[in-house]
Amino acid sequence: MPTTTHPAAHSALSQRPVELTSVTKRYGTGGSTVTALDDVTLSFAPGTMTAVMGPSGSGKSTLLQCAAGLDRPTSGSVALDGTPLDGLDETALTLLRRDRVGFVFQAFNLVSALTAAQNVALPLLLAGHRPDPAAVTAALAEVGIADRAGHRPSQLSGGQQQRVALARALVTRPAVLFADEPTGALDTHTSRAVLALLRGLVDRHAQTVIMVTHDPAAASWADRVILLADGRIADEITTRSGAETIASRMAVLEERA
Amino acid sequence: MNPLIFALATVRERRTALAGSFLALCLGVAILSASALILLSGGSGVPGRYAGTPVLVQAPKGAATDGTFLDRAPWSPQRTQQLTRDLAAVPGVREVVADRSFPAQAVRDDGQPVGEQRERAREGHGWSSAALAPYAMGEGRPPTNGQEVAVSQDLDLPVGARISLLTAKGPEPFTVTGTVDGPGYYVTDARAAALSGGVRVLGLLTGPGADRRAVAAAAAKAVGASGTVLTGDAREALAPVQDEKTRWIGAQVLSAMAALSGFVTVFVVSSTFAFTVAQRRREFGLLRTVGATPKQLRRMLYGEALAVGAVAAGAGVTLGALFAPALGDVLVDAGFQPEGFAARIQLPVLAGAFGIGVLVAMAGVWAAARRAARTAPLDALREAAVDDRPPSRARLFAGIGFTVAGCAAAVGSAVVDPADMVSLALLTAVTLITGVTLLTPAVVPPLVRLVTRPLARRGGAVALLVREGMLTAVRRTASTVAPVLATVGFVVLITGNTQTSAHPYRTEEAVSVRAEAAVVPHGTPGLSDAAVARVQGAALLPTVLHTDRAPLTAAGIDPGSFAAVNSRLKVVSGSLDGLGDGLGDGLGDGVAVTESVRRTLGPTIRATFEDGRTETLRVAAVLDDRSSPYQVLMGRAAVRAHDPAALTEVVYRTGPRTEVPGGHEVSPAAHAGSADAEEDRLVWVFTLLLVGLSAGYTALAVANTLLMATADRRADFRVLRLSGATVRQVLGVVVGETVFVVALGTLLGGLVALPSLLGIRAGLSGLLGVPVDLVVPGVPVLGAVGACLLLALAGSVLPTRAALRAG
Repeated sequence: MPTTTHPAAHSALSQRPVELTSVTKRYGTGGSTVTALDDVTLSFAPGTMTAVMGPSGSGKSTLLQCAAGLDRPTSGSVALDGTPLDGLDETALTLLRRDRVGFVFQAFNLVSALTAAQNVALPLLLAGHRPDPAAVTAALAEVGIADRAGHRPSQLSGGQQQRVALARALVTRPAVLFADEPTGALDTHTSRAVLALLRGLVDRHAQTVIMVTHDPAAASWADRVILLADGRIADEITTRSGAETIASRMAVLEERA
Repeated sequence: MNPLIFALATVRERRTALAGSFLALCLGVAILSASALILLSGGSGVPGRYAGTPVLVQAPKGAATDGTFLDRAPWSPQRTQQLTRDLAAVPGVREVVADRSFPAQAVRDDGQPVGEQRERAREGHGWSSAALAPYAMGEGRPPTNGQEVAVSQDLDLPVGARISLLTAKGPEPFTVTGTVDGPGYYVTDARAAALSGGVRVLGLLTGPGADRRAVAAAAAKAVGASGTVLTGDAREALAPVQDEKTRWIGAQVLSAMAALSGFVTVFVVSSTFAFTVAQRRREFGLLRTVGATPKQLRRMLYGEALAVGAVAAGAGVTLGALFAPALGDVLVDAGFQPEGFAARIQLPVLAGAFGIGVLVAMAGVWAAARRAARTAPLDALREAAVDDRPPSRARLFAGIGFTVAGCAAAVGSAVVDPADMVSLALLTAVTLITGVTLLTPAVVPPLVRLVTRPLARRGGAVALLVREGMLTAVRRTASTVAPVLATVGFVVLITGNTQTSAHPYRTEEAVSVRAEAAVVPHGTPGLSDAAVARVQGAALLPTVLHTDRAPLTAAGIDPGSFAAVNSRLKVVSGSLDGLGDGLGDGLGDGVAVTESVRRTLGPTIRATFEDGRTETLRVAAVLDDRSSPYQVLMGRAAVRAHDPAALTEVVYRTGPRTEVPGGHEVSPAAHAGSADAEEDRLVWVFTLLLVGLSAGYTALAVANTLLMATADRRADFRVLRLSGATVRQVLGVVVGETVFVVALGTLLGGLVALPSLLGIRAGLSGLLGVPVDLVVPGVPVLGAVGACLLLALAGSVLPTRAALRAG
């Protein structure tokens, strides 16, 4: 059941959209295990935008996948919008994600067979609801491409595709929106526009956003930056900072490694 | 959500990828519906000879006449008279006609017969039979004495002409008294009774205003168990048994065709769907992330299959309905359906074929849907190109299971009855092909490694790319190998099977006959006694004996000359000298029977002859089952005494050569061949039909898979070009892969067919006691492999070239 309450009211009810407690994730078996996440405890405040950064191999994507319920931690627990994920089977997990979580990836975000409007309506269709055309149009208008509703992904630019992906992620009014390198495949100008959109969602609708990125310029839009190294939280910036500040803190981290 | 809406969008988007499934389904349903229409269209209708008779009574069907294609036993003369009297008393019946038939053919002055008649044709009838059609009198008058005849006006004979009519005895003089507007020769009823055997059909001509249903009901009451009353369309049962046999063969062809196309359709559809699912892993991952449950993914794929299946089945049914009449004509020409057969369009049949088509699509997508449902959301984030996951355990088990079952069926075909051998061989092929196909993903990597090892060490970049490309895309390689495997397997098996089993029979019969030549009918229904008398040798006069069990095939012989000619004849006990002449009634009639007949029927046999009279026969000699072409041998005079219409089918000549009117000479070997030649020809046409069908289908699948795979590899090719590969080198990689895949499929296909061919060979050798050569005809096999290769190259090289040009 997608919630029909306003996101701000919804977030106020559940104080913590995402909570990770002692989450460890190991890949492989026997001698060749890789520890991607090492005993990470973390929680995210509602209505804020958090950037997760770190050098490649630091575990930032694994963190996002575990937090979003896409992957199961080896130990520790994850709670989404107050619901612990342990013990949920695949279908229950899918239903929870469908209601509470939105995703935007770097690329391949859209189903190529469907138009922009159909892609946006997809989560509602999958949930068994008749999508309200007005709501779909509103979601597309929110990201500024209502005029492209009837186009298929192959007829849209990279930036437009990401906007459609954003609209789709928001149409269910999720408790939290995960974005994995959402601007990784875009040029600087388009990146700024997409990030401004994300920021606007946080400011206007108190949307919780968690974004993985390697780009200090993207992270500078966030209220909080978490820096990962070797699967642990190495550093944290708790106020909105400029790209230079973030870049220098990153550089310190990379030198240490 | 409604999965169908989404499925429709996907079908529209992926129409190239689904084209293979669509075509295969459409073709399969077309073949199925055309076959079913023909199978269920019934026979050639009411024979024209009986068309004008509202109610007919047929002699009762004896025990176990099914599958023998022999006429039912005639009534005895007394019973015929009794029934005629009883039926004449039925209200509304104007006249009861005892329908008699006998061989008759006009001969020219030089002794040569006029026109051509089929073997065992019976063109002579009593005059009253002409009223059953009815055939009207053209000129002149009906025959009134034994030497008069009314003939078909097609013969262009003037009234009063004197002609010779070839009967079972030989040419006899007649005077033409009139012409009729239908086929046949009509003599007086008395003369017809003398020339023919017993009566099997009584026609009831009704008076004006009589209700045929009431007459039929009253007639049924009058005859009781002594006959079957036929009226309306049921009169179709009066078609010659020969037609029934033809239709039976036709039914075999059609059901095999339908079964094979059903299997191949499921095969092609499931492999195409499996491949599209593998290609769309990323899309499914995305859907899972967006909130699709595994069940929804499964339903979505079923929806796609439903959409494709419904459209394809609809098109197929339409095609089937359009082509059924043409196919019917082809089957008539090829001898698989009797003359006068026409396919009828029946809506329930088409609806059934449509339903089956949709079901086949659903069955084909089943495994693929299960696989798609297992897609993890994270698959949306992974690069899709490397697909070297090992096949699932369930697949391996199923593959091994099918392979073992196939081998068991192959062993089975070595020991079963020859009648079941062919169906068991088909079963072997189907199970082995399924099994090995399931195992291909497991078998392909080691095979590729083994075969390409020398290439990898010494070859250049192209060889390296071919090798690694096939190893990393195991599923693509396997999807392409599978249809080639199926095609080659079927072609080798079906053609090899036919050729291997056809050869030994012929050679065996040819070596067992010691004669100068075989004299056989030529354009006549058989050889008359007069013709036989001119040749010195052993003659066979076939007839049928009706017992309370299955009817027996019998032949009249002269014991001395027959034994001299047939070196194969093995008398187990008794002696052929004890065969009676049939002239003395009662226990004097000694006959020779095969061991199995002796076993089932005992030392004396109550048998009804073709003239309807029943005699007790004493078994004077027992023959080895396999050494005699007939179940019962008796004196030639005994057959003639009870079957005035019997005609000799062959005389093995031992004396000097003579001219025989209505007959010609062939070598004993050629006769042995020609006896089966018609059957062989039918079987061969049938074989080529099946081969063409399966080859066409699977070639379609090969081309389709490659087309899909190549379209998907554009990015790869671009990278190759950017890394410095020339267009020629990229094409070289594609050609290399294609050739290799086709070769691999050919190898596996050959291996799959071998066990069942060996099984058949072992079975035949055991049965005949002679070594049997394994014959695999080269032309169809090479043709199939060549066609596969050509299509595969077209399906891979052309899109690659287009992609390279565009990119």
